[in-house]
Amino acid sequence: MSSVILVTPLIIANWSVISAAVLGACGAMGFTVASGAVSGSGRARSGSSVTRAEIEVENSEVLAGGGGTDEEMVVEKDGVRATFSRDARGALKVCMEGTGYSKGQLKQIGQELMEQVTQQYVYHRVVTELKERGMPIVHEEVEADRTVKIRVRNW
Amino acid sequence: MAEEIEISISPTGQVTVRTIGIKGPKCVQAAEAVAKIIGQIESRELTSEYYEAEGHVSGQIEVRGRR
Repeated sequence: MSSVILVTPLIIANWSVISAAVLGACGAMGFTVASGAVSGSGRARSGSSVTRAEIEVENSEVLAGGGGTDEEMVVEKDGVRATFSRDARGALKVCMEGTGYSKGQLKQIGQELMEQVTQQYVYHRVVTELKERGMPIVHEEVEADRTVKIRVRNW
Repeated sequence: MAEEIEISISPTGQVTVRTIGIKGPKCVQAAEAVAKIIGQIESRELTSEYYEAEGHVSGQIEVRGRR
C-alpha cells in the first residue's frame, strides 16, 4: 500500500565526488588502485594480445572544477585493468583492458563496475542530501542480493 | 502510523522510491521530492493509499447478538 516511483539515476558531479564512488565500488569488487588520479591520458598498454573495451556511462556528467576534468583513475584485478575518466563530451567512461579476455568478457566486467559505481554514488548522494534537508534515516540495510534500502521519516 | 519514505538502490543501480503510511496526493509529492535528488523519474505507480483520505476517521460499530 504505497506510492512507488522508479528513478533512473543521473550521475552529475565533479571528479572528486565521482572518484570517491569509483573507489568504493572497485574496492567492493576486489579491484585495487593501480595508480592515483593522474593527469592526462594515454596510459594504454602496448602489445597485440591485449583486448580492450570501452563503456560510456549514459546519464552522467563529470563537472569541471574541484578535481579538474583531465584526471583518471586506474584499478586492476586478475590481469584486468579499468581506467575511469571523462570523455570528450564530459560523460564518465571506463576503458577495460586485459590479456586473455574476450571483448565481451571485458564489457561485462566493466558494466558490473559501472553498476557498482552508480549504486555507491546514489547512496552517498541520497544520504548527504537527506541530512542537509534534516530528514532522519530511521533504518538502513543491505539485502542478500546487495540491494541497499534506506528508510527516512517524511518531513 | 509513521510517515516514511523507503529508497531501494539495487546492485545494478536501479532506484525505487516508495512511500509508507502517507495518504492522499501528499504521498506522490513526498516520493517525487526524494526521486528528484536521485535523477529522472521513469514511472509512477499509485496504489490504494493514494486514494485514502488524510486524517483520522472514527466511528462506532455495534454488534448485537441474536437471541
